[in-house]
Amino acid sequence: MKRLRVIFGCYALLAGPAVAGGDFLDRVDDSLTTSALHDAVRLRLSGTLDLEAYQLRQPAPSLIYSDGSGLFSPRLSLFLDVQIGAHVYVYAQARADRGFDPGDGGLRGRLDEYALRYTPVDNGRLNFQVGKFATIVGNWMPRHGSWDNPFITAPLPYSNLTGIWDAMAARTTDQLFLWASVRPRPAQGGEYLDKALSVPIIWGPSYATGAAVFGEIGRFDYAVEMKNVALASRPAVWDLDGSRWDRPAWNGRLGYRPNPMWSFGVSASTGSYLRPLAQRTLAPGHGLDDYREFVFGQDIGFAWHHTQFWAEVYEARFTIPTVGDARTVAYYLEGKQKLTPQLFIALRWNEQFFSTFRDRTGTAVRWGRDVWRIDIGPGYRFTPHTQLKVQYSLQHEDADARELGHMLAGQFTVRF
Amino acid sequence: MNLLRPARLVLAWSALPAFVFAQAAVEGRVTLPATRAAPVVNKRYEIVTKGGVLSTNPPLAVVYLEGTFSPPPVPPLAQVAQKDLAFIPTLLPVQVGTRVEFPNFDDTYHNIFSFSPAKRFDLGRYRSDEKPVPSVVFDEAGLVTLRCDIHEHMRALILVLPTPYFVVTDADGRYRLGGLPPGRYTVAAWLDSKTTAPSRPVDLQNGVTAHVDFP
Repeated sequence: MKRLRVIFGCYALLAGPAVAGGDFLDRVDDSLTTSALHDAVRLRLSGTLDLEAYQLRQPAPSLIYSDGSGLFSPRLSLFLDVQIGAHVYVYAQARADRGFDPGDGGLRGRLDEYALRYTPVDNGRLNFQVGKFATIVGNWMPRHGSWDNPFITAPLPYSNLTGIWDAMAARTTDQLFLWASVRPRPAQGGEYLDKALSVPIIWGPSYATGAAVFGEIGRFDYAVEMKNVALASRPAVWDLDGSRWDRPAWNGRLGYRPNPMWSFGVSASTGSYLRPLAQRTLAPGHGLDDYREFVFGQDIGFAWHHTQFWAEVYEARFTIPTVGDARTVAYYLEGKQKLTPQLFIALRWNEQFFSTFRDRTGTAVRWGRDVWRIDIGPGYRFTPHTQLKVQYSLQHEDADARELGHMLAGQFTVRF
Repeated sequence: MNLLRPARLVLAWSALPAFVFAQAAVEGRVTLPATRAAPVVNKRYEIVTKGGVLSTNPPLAVVYLEGTFSPPPVPPLAQVAQKDLAFIPTLLPVQVGTRVEFPNFDDTYHNIFSFSPAKRFDLGRYRSDEKPVPSVVFDEAGLVTLRCDIHEHMRALILVLPTPYFVVTDADGRYRLGGLPPGRYTVAAWLDSKTTAPSRPVDLQNGVTAHVDFP
């Protein structure tokens, strides 16, 4: 707790100069935009600096990799946007942090996104994109950045780890129960050791490599993408060299926007969730392609005046040839309300359910622990370039002997 | 939809005293700062069909007559529109007490806000067909930076002045400020948020056009 107080004290100290430097950051923004060839080529460099801190109970929830009670996770993100003529757009995102997901690792840099988009016609009906970029599935991606996300962590479907491992194939239901920490219950700390092996339904924004076709036709929009790995796959395999192209994942989304106030969408995805190194653990007669993740998602968005609301529900099925289909459903309801021009509050309810398998005695046993989590967080924008968010999360898992899980997090962001 | 309305409103107000009070005028040229590059629209997670390619907005200055003037009997009205993911105009001078409307002519949401000390507000997200058109009364002199919470490249300025006598230069820096009351005044030129050219004294007489340059 002492460490957290120190960190929030630092936030307060940083806020002062950052607020005073608002006009300076406007000039930085202007100076990082340049053009050539009579504006035919325009380039903008921008970024965010996030100072993130967590106070949590062990085991650390979701995609947070720390065995301590506190974690400081700074992140510098740099964005490059280049408009070449009217039809070509290039963008990239590079980050320096302690890991793609918050963790205890050392500072390192990565190129998280790079993409080339070609729009042959001005009406936006057809766009082609290749590179390494966020998935087109769902409606969370447009706000997953620290500045636009009302919260610090991702919703449950994008972060809650399941009993599916991507480095090994489960051969029996007992093995699946063990991996899901359902039976037997792990010793204290055991869950943390297993954590690095598990995958969620969708891993964050899923910056996998591939190609996409998308566009808008009237009130409808569509998107189809082929990526090198499934939605559940971890960041380590998102890169072009992270996996081979013999088992691509296919994702699609169809959206309907009757007016700017409402948006609706359905998404679907299929892809092999195992990494190539799992080959030696497969059941005889089966290949990696037999271990597939199928995802069907529905999303809704609403915005009017100072209120915004989003909801998504995902039904996922992991096929395990010798066990059966491991099914799970996760959803969340998220709202944001601006209370003043600078102060907002956000509330999110998340829940995930798991299907059952028969154990050796014929008893139906869930292959994961049903979980609910409530996230609440105020945010304050000091200037158009600086923002402080605080998030408190309360999580409960069924069949869990421990008390409720608590997490308190703070994030100070400077945008330039 | 009438994008010329803001300009007409400002011109109409500026011209009004010419018929009622005076015929003096001042003209000249302001040396403008260098042109900035056109903004780049962030399309990373959006399909942007219109407004994806923006034109460069040349720097403009506002020339105004300094002094103490009585407030307008009827609050003036002006507009800053949102069209093709840009504010039109990008620089709007208004007199203190002016109500500025913010019509949205795009088929997508905008969310105009300002954290400027002279006026802090957030209009939220409103549909283009909502009535009345969202508006704000600017009741304190100063510079107000408009932004859009959805489209980070969108930026515009409203310069709230305690005088009804002002004009925006053309792209070459030339201006003509007419309909002024005769007398001894000072004329100032606002160039950007950090720069206002030093005031110049001017002796205004009926039927005479004074000349003041701001190098």
